[in-house]
Amino acid sequence: MTTSRETGGTGTGPRTLAEELRTRPDEDLAGLLHARPDLLNPVPGDLTQLATRAATRASVARALDRLDRFALQTAEALAVAPDPCPYGTLAALMTGDQPDDPAVAAQLPRAVATLRGQALVWGAEDRLRLVRTVRELLAPSAAHPSPTGLGPTVAEATTGMSPGRLQQIITTAGLPGTHDPVSAVASLTALFEDRTRMAALLEGAPSEAVGVLDRLLWGPPYGTVTADPAPHLRWLLDRGLLLSTGPGGVVLPREAALHLRAGRAHRTPEPLAPELAPLAEHSARLVDATAGGQAHIALSTVEDLLAEWETAGPLVLRAGGLSVRDLKRTAAALDTTEAGAAFWTELAYAAGLLASDGDVDERYAPTPAYDEWLRLPAERRWTHLATAWLATTRTPGLVGDRDAKGRTLAALGPGLDRSPAPEVRRRVLDLLAELPPGASVSADTLLARLHWERPPRTTGDDLRTRLARWALEDAEQLGVTSRGALCAHGRALLAGPAEAAALLAPLLPQPLDHVLLQADLTAVAPGPLHRPLAQTLAVLADVESKGGATVYRFTPESVRRALDAGQTAADLTAFLTAHSRTPVPQPLAYLVDDVARRHGHLRVGAASSYLRCDDEAVLAEILADRRSAPLRLRRLAGTVLAAQAAPDILLETLRAMGYAPAAESAEGDVLVTRADVRRTPQRTAPAPVPEGPPIPDSTLLGAAVRAIRAGDLAATAERKPPAEQPATSASGLPRTTSADTLATVQAAVLTGAAVWIGYVNADGAASQRVIAPIRVEGGFVTAYDHTADEVRTYPLHRITGVAELADESA
Amino acid sequence: MNGPLIVQSDKTLLLEVDHEQADACRRAIASFAELERAPEHIHTYRVTPLGLWNARAAGHDAEQVVDALVTHSRYPVPHALLVDIAETMARYGRLRLLKHPVHGLVLESSDRPVLEEILRSKKVQPLVGARIDPDTVAVHPSERGQIKQTLLKLGWPAEDLAGYVDGEAHPIELDEDGWALRPYQRQAVEGFWHGGSGVVVLPCGAGKTLVGAGAMAMAKATTLILVTNTVSARQWKHELVKRTSLTEDEIGEYSGTRKEIRPVTIATYQVLTTKRKGVYPHLELFDSRDWGLVLYDEVHLLPAPVFKFTADLQARRRLGLTATLVREDGRESDVFSLIGPKRFDAPWKEIEAQGYIAPADCVEVRVNLTDGERLAYATAETEEKYRFCATTATKRKVTEALVRKHRGEQTLVIGQYIDQLDELGEHLGAPVIKGETTNAQREKLFDAFRAGELSVLVVSKVANFSIDLPEATVAIQVSGTFGSRQEEAQRLGRVLRPKADGHEARFYSVVARDTVDQDFAAHRQRFLAEQGYAYRIVDADSLLAGDEAG
Repeated sequence: MTTSRETGGTGTGPRTLAEELRTRPDEDLAGLLHARPDLLNPVPGDLTQLATRAATRASVARALDRLDRFALQTAEALAVAPDPCPYGTLAALMTGDQPDDPAVAAQLPRAVATLRGQALVWGAEDRLRLVRTVRELLAPSAAHPSPTGLGPTVAEATTGMSPGRLQQIITTAGLPGTHDPVSAVASLTALFEDRTRMAALLEGAPSEAVGVLDRLLWGPPYGTVTADPAPHLRWLLDRGLLLSTGPGGVVLPREAALHLRAGRAHRTPEPLAPELAPLAEHSARLVDATAGGQAHIALSTVEDLLAEWETAGPLVLRAGGLSVRDLKRTAAALDTTEAGAAFWTELAYAAGLLASDGDVDERYAPTPAYDEWLRLPAERRWTHLATAWLATTRTPGLVGDRDAKGRTLAALGPGLDRSPAPEVRRRVLDLLAELPPGASVSADTLLARLHWERPPRTTGDDLRTRLARWALEDAEQLGVTSRGALCAHGRALLAGPAEAAALLAPLLPQPLDHVLLQADLTAVAPGPLHRPLAQTLAVLADVESKGGATVYRFTPESVRRALDAGQTAADLTAFLTAHSRTPVPQPLAYLVDDVARRHGHLRVGAASSYLRCDDEAVLAEILADRRSAPLRLRRLAGTVLAAQAAPDILLETLRAMGYAPAAESAEGDVLVTRADVRRTPQRTAPAPVPEGPPIPDSTLLGAAVRAIRAGDLAATAERKPPAEQPATSASGLPRTTSADTLATVQAAVLTGAAVWIGYVNADGAASQRVIAPIRVEGGFVTAYDHTADEVRTYPLHRITGVAELADESA
Repeated sequence: MNGPLIVQSDKTLLLEVDHEQADACRRAIASFAELERAPEHIHTYRVTPLGLWNARAAGHDAEQVVDALVTHSRYPVPHALLVDIAETMARYGRLRLLKHPVHGLVLESSDRPVLEEILRSKKVQPLVGARIDPDTVAVHPSERGQIKQTLLKLGWPAEDLAGYVDGEAHPIELDEDGWALRPYQRQAVEGFWHGGSGVVVLPCGAGKTLVGAGAMAMAKATTLILVTNTVSARQWKHELVKRTSLTEDEIGEYSGTRKEIRPVTIATYQVLTTKRKGVYPHLELFDSRDWGLVLYDEVHLLPAPVFKFTADLQARRRLGLTATLVREDGRESDVFSLIGPKRFDAPWKEIEAQGYIAPADCVEVRVNLTDGERLAYATAETEEKYRFCATTATKRKVTEALVRKHRGEQTLVIGQYIDQLDELGEHLGAPVIKGETTNAQREKLFDAFRAGELSVLVVSKVANFSIDLPEATVAIQVSGTFGSRQEEAQRLGRVLRPKADGHEARFYSVVARDTVDQDFAAHRQRFLAEQGYAYRIVDADSLLAGDEAG
């Protein structure tokens, strides 16, 4: 850690990382760039640049993030090992003094190779060197305890310790005294590293002291002691087994901890990825069939959703996304939970089937791509959704959470993109694909495996874990997996959509062209229906239950709806007869006829006026007259015509045609055509407008005089000539510095004198005033204003300047 | 994958009846799914928590349920549904009511968190006593029913294993002389006895009384029978004397007029729920003897106070008899927790197919009102509308025509409005039985009708229930209690008793076209249509024309 550059010692090996990279074959470099693609951006100029970039903090942190658990553990061990570190030392740290897991030793070369391949470790086998930034990131410090749970070395922990105290420690530890702190530290380190001598030293430890060591052993190695430690703690402190880190703080030095751990850097090295032990083995056929069924449900759910939004899509929130209420409504319409609704809407969105329409009041609606999608065969529709799902970074699972600013994340809204999502999703499916067909694995096992491959930085429920869980749930919803096992078409999906579609096609139920009609006014479609049939039925009857089959119920309302849509009773009966395997039940036929009989019985239209006459002949005559054409008359009944023209126009036209029509009120009374006598609403008489202003009364006069006097005083008062600069600027306002202003005003308070100020009001208008300050506090002057003749308060910062009046007597 | 069953996402099961495996499938799913509708092609069953718990109570486990679904389903069963079924079923029996040798009635749990959860509920706290050990808590014996009700509401139904008191023994034997219990009746009795307490669902006319008698013969103990009204009480008595070893003297009637308490006592709901000065004076009936069995006739009509009394009767065996578990007030869960789970169920059509109830032809006669009537109807007050259209003269004429058409057959005319019935009685020359008719008079008329001396009887809603008129072959309904579905079922039941000559029964419902009468009729018929009794619709005009021609 003393080297400031990545330099090696003497010897024949490479002296810097750049140098070593230079010696690596091209494919290794390609491997490095493949593993750490961020190094390529932009393409480095030379290997020195590459090495430098590979050692930058951001890049190293990213590379560390992508290490599997064992490689990371190896790097962590290297970070607590001396630099450079021979392979043997590293191996000892990983396996401990008594190797019990042969896999550790067996896997270690692979881990080192991984680190080396990613340019995190370099140097010859006997001089393995961790890139400095890696060491900085992984080495234990008080702020960043190492995952190894090891503390600082004796040398690090004793920096700044008084030589006298050090002297005491080594003497108490039974070492020959030395005055040189460096050699004292060295001999203490040597003692801690020597298993035999250390064991002997610990023999004499009080049992409580052993207990303390046991607590600190696997970390965190820091503890606290009181100012007057108990005897057992004192025993440890005196021998350097606990070293002070500051007032009240102690740490177990790394060497001592390693001794107690029998040389192990990690409590449990995990050299091998956890096995994906199958939870259950279903028959592959069952899994495929169930997944096929689910795929069908997924398709119909998306179709239902978009059909629902086809006519009245929900509004887009101003901040983007779907309101909670609309989400709830959608969930109810799809008969699912809100999380489910979020998933389906996001899926349709990711697949490009739905978007906001961009109108003024923005709404969500299906896109033209939806129509194309509908024309695809079912299996292709599914692969379209599934590939979109595989690739999307949108994560509907986040809906309802709050973002960093405390705003709730809305479905279809911003802030739902998580870039690792597709990678995690893919990895989850890849892992499932490793299992034999039909085998499922528990989510926890899968997560353990994912954690091993990419250890989470924090122990909590990190994003990748959540993403993995969502991936599993979504896959189940979508019919990629079933009962936790990847199905055949899901497996094929990983390779490409075409094959998946071919595998899925036979699993999807074939659309039917018939329904079963029953006397209780229901129709049951025992499977999916051909689309035109389903659409017509959806208008003609209400859907009562969905799933593998669909149950429709005929009600007077639903039949009326179909009639409204332009069908006739005969059409409907023909349609039902054509698509029913059994005769149309009598009650249903009656229902259709009953509703049809009444349908359109009442007619509604709009007219602007009407014309009625008991003599049908007159109406016929008017209707026949060409001059009545602009009135757009229509005969509603023998004695009634409806007109699209307004009543007054109708009247005029008829009069022009030589008739003598009379107007009718809404109540049917004849309106008398005499000119109306009009009245205004309640009005007051106008006030007289005298020539000059009104004669003022005495109060007003008195006030006016006072005001004039005050103004005069302000304008004419003689001022003392200013000290430095002219007190009056071009605008005529006095100008003084704020300190002067304050001082003068304060002085005026004491003397009770009036001063002349320049003042700018809140609107920026400048004025001059003569005031007698009463009080100055909190940045405000309270003063009697001679100009306004009242007590006012002025903010000090609004006063441009102040000048004493030359003469008090105005 | 070509089974007869389609599992829907809303937990309904559609069974294609014409499928060759339909029968096997029906048997497999009947234990846990309630038959909701049974029209001609596709029967609808519904999987409800109550149904699943019923199945658990009957000893089925989730494995069997899932297996039944998976085996018979045409399409893959959604996994989530299977998981849900397993979870729901697992909720039953986590809590058990037991009799503890030291502490008396205790609630025991095999799942401590569940016990903790329910003990935290404010509703449970007053019902339980001291915690005996981490898994057991004492329950006040008087709260046995209450706690079952409450736990069911909380979604953790308790299995009641606390057993029953035997009650005062009393010898009762079935007197199977010249008749025998039908197979399904025997199964129902056994199902009930095996389960301890519960409900037997049989269609009207399928001999529920005999199931009751069979249960009494099993219990051989003093029995309290709760029935809807006095006429029905007399009928029970009559039937019991005829079918069992019991004699007249052993059977008491506890009603408004008589207050006899005998080894077998038949009480009416009405007398029990009579309230005087805020108390129920006849409640001591429940404690007046050490009853070994309590029978509830027409459970779907059980009035709310009786549930309350029943909560205190949890140590006695209880048998509920009904034609339908559908309650218009939605208290099915109280029936489950207080009387017991469903122990036996047979759909109407099946029993009809076995020949135990008469097949029926249901006809809705649509009457066109005259213009004058239509106008009057159109301007009637909203609350008077139904009464008006249900009692029009045109309907009366059609009814008379129908009676004429079936001259010589035993005909019942059933209606809601007394003036309408009186008028009909007058025109038809038939006696009218209504609320004010004395019981003696009623019995006399019914006897005359049974004997064939009378061929037409006009009855009000007093005859809705439990009146055994096996000879009635034609029923004409002229008006009803608005849209009550169970009333329709009861009325149909009047003509479903098997006929001596095995011929088909007729059920006419006379309905005024284009009025609320028609809407109510549609609602009323839904239950029967769902039970597979499809209504034919006939225009009154064509009927009358045919009548005149024929």
